[in-house]
This record gives sequence, C-alpha cells and structure tokens, in this order.
Amino acid sequence: MNQKLQAKDFITIGVFTAILFVVCFAVAMLGFIPIFIPLLSVLVPFIGGIPFMLFATKAQKFGMTTIMGLLIGIINGMMGHGIWAFLLGPACGLLADLIMKSGNYRSSRKSELACGVFFVWVIGNYLPIIFTRAQYREQLITGGYGQEYADALMKLIPDWSLAPLGIATVVFGFLGAVLGKTMLKKHFERAGIV
Amino acid sequence: MLEKKSEIHSLLDPRTKLLMVLTIATVVIGGSNLGVYGRTKYFLSAIPFLLFLLEKQWKTAFLYGGAYIIAVLGESYLLHYTYGVLNFILVAVCMVVTRFVPGFIMADYMMKTTTVSAFMAAMERMHIPQAVTIPLAVTFRFFPTIGEEHGAINQAMSVRGVRLGGGKPLKMLEYRMMPLMISCMNISDELSAAAITRGLGSPRKRTNICHIGFTWVDGIAFAVCIGAWAAFICGLMGR
Repeated sequence: MNQKLQAKDFITIGVFTAILFVVCFAVAMLGFIPIFIPLLSVLVPFIGGIPFMLFATKAQKFGMTTIMGLLIGIINGMMGHGIWAFLLGPACGLLADLIMKSGNYRSSRKSELACGVFFVWVIGNYLPIIFTRAQYREQLITGGYGQEYADALMKLIPDWSLAPLGIATVVFGFLGAVLGKTMLKKHFERAGIV
Repeated sequence: MLEKKSEIHSLLDPRTKLLMVLTIATVVIGGSNLGVYGRTKYFLSAIPFLLFLLEKQWKTAFLYGGAYIIAVLGESYLLHYTYGVLNFILVAVCMVVTRFVPGFIMADYMMKTTTVSAFMAAMERMHIPQAVTIPLAVTFRFFPTIGEEHGAINQAMSVRGVRLGGGKPLKMLEYRMMPLMISCMNISDELSAAAITRGLGSPRKRTNICHIGFTWVDGIAFAVCIGAWAAFICGLMGR
C-alpha cells in the first residue's frame, strides 16, 4: 500500500476532526456547571472514543492521527484554550499514531489504547488552573464568572487532582474506544461499510 | 467557506481575518473585565458586528449585537442577586454570549467571506504545508454541514420518539451519533471525489486567480490586533 498521504486522506482527516470537535465541544458545554469540569476528563474521551474508532479504521497511514491532533490543537488554541492545549494536541496525536503504527494499523486493541492516549489533550485545559491558580481564580472573578463559580471550581480541582484526571482521560478514552468498537460492529460491519 | 465566486468580498486579506479570529478568541475569552483590558474586550467584540454591517448582513449583525448587550447587562447587574443553580445557569448563558460568541461570529465572518481558494492561496503564501491546510480547510467547510445533517437526523429521530428525556441516554447517543457519522462519511467520500476531479493532490503547483494582498484596511486591522495583544499581555502581568 502507498504510505504517502493522498488528497483523500487529508479530506478524511478534515472531516473527522470536524466531527470530533463538534462532539467534544457539545460535551464540554456542560463545564459551565462547575461540578462537571472534573467530569469532563471522563465524558469527553468516553464519548469522543466513538468517532475516534471510526477514524482509526480509516487511518491506515502514519501521520493521519498526528495531523488530527495538530488540528485539534490549532482549533483549541483559536478557541482560547491557551498554549498547553495547543501543544498537547499534536504531542498526543503523535503518541497515538506511534501506538497504532506498532500494531501496523490493524490491531484493534492497539487502536483502543491509542484512543486513550490521544485524549490526554483534554488535560491541557486543566493545566492553567493548576499552574497559575491564584491568577486564574482572579480572572474568573473579575471576568464575570462570579465568586461562587470560582470558589466551586477551585475546590473541585486541587493540585493533586492532575494525576487522577490524567489517568481518567486514558482509562475512559480506552473505554470509549471499546464502546465505539461495539457500536461500529453493530451498525457498520453489518451494513458492510467498514 | 464559500464556493461561489460572485459572493467574494475581499475587504480584508484571509491572513488578516485569521489573525483577527485568533485575537478575538484569545483576548475575549481569557482575562478580567476590569480597566483598560475590559474595555479592549468590548471594543474587540464590536468588530465582528461592524464587519457584518459592512457586509449588509443586517440580521446577523443585530442579532449578535442585541444578544451581546443583553448578556453584558445581565452579567454586570443580575449575577450579584442570584444564588445556587440559578446563578450557575445565568453565568453559563452570559458567559457563552460574552466570551465565545464574539469569536464564533468572527470565525463565521471569516468563513462567509473567504473562498476555499483564497484561503488556500493565503496559506500557501505563509508556507504552511498542504498536509495542514487541506484538512483545516475541510474542517471549517464541514462545520455547517454537520449542523445541517444533525438537524435532519434530529427531526427524523423525534418522529420515531427518540428524544431527550426518553430515559435512555446511551440509546439517544447511539441513534444520534451513528447516523451522523455514516452520513458524514458518505459526504466525505463525495467531497474527496469532487476535489480530486478538480485537481487537488496533483503534483503540480496550485494556481488561482484570487487577489491576495494587504491594503490599508489590513494595516488598521493589524494595528488593532497588536493593541489588543498588548492589553492582553498587560492584563496577564496583573496591571
């Protein structure tokens, strides 16, 4: 098989980036209720795993997942999520790509693992809270979120929470991928699409 | 992004528009409402409104302007009088409108006034490889399509009684997402067939007839963006 990326592959990447982004964004809207902010590291990978697994069946060449990560990073950057989200996107994409490559893009177990790693970019959105806590809180209050929201958020994301949040993205990315695979099996393989 | 040539309106260069989307999204979303910085945010939020007025898109312009003003008023007066759940809902609504919507509207303006061709040409001038520009152009072009497909699927599903509050969230998810993904995949295949027919991905260098270049209008836009970034950085330093 030709390993160079073709125009068709670029379009596939673009389409799936759009789907993934819309799905993640819809879920992330829950974050306006503070209790959901830590839960996003569970929900976003879990639900995002479904489109990711469909993408994984199409991404049979090295570079596709990396580019998708880069695009997610760029769009997150444009949405004002800051530098961490921008850098983590391509980094996680590359790692996920390498994992899938090690399975020759055939192993579904490797794809599920790659899905878990891919969604670590979600952590990029928590990093500013932990690294620049005082400043972030100040910004929330003066920025119109209100005292109540800021205090609730600060209590929900203590410094030590970074590790569990990170683990949660991997675990639930993996579980989302398993769910995605089941759904693909049910709907797509029966219809003969994948 | 537009496909029709007749609707091209090149008041600003695509690169300028991209910079403005980036500036508005970053500066308006982050930071406080106080002092010079706060005023910068109001000023930036007014830009997409003015741009849409210039395009004679009255409906978009005034809907956006009205919603923004109501949200700002709500944010500054109502938040102190509410508590608990009501407070969070109010915060959520006002936040979406005052933080995210200006960036969205600006991105919407960029997409409505830039042809794919002009976007690609501008990106090529910036020496960004095609591996990034093609997927990025497709992604932006695809957002409205997803919206349309989603609307159609929603209607079909509510006819069948699969709707919010049906008590089966996982089923809901499945019956919304699967059709969406299948139809998007079909569209993606059609899109790539169409694009390859038009010569995308051929080894030759891409040519086009778009006029890309900076004018004095772009100069003003750049000055505004630089000023906004300066205010943003000062705001981060705690001035």
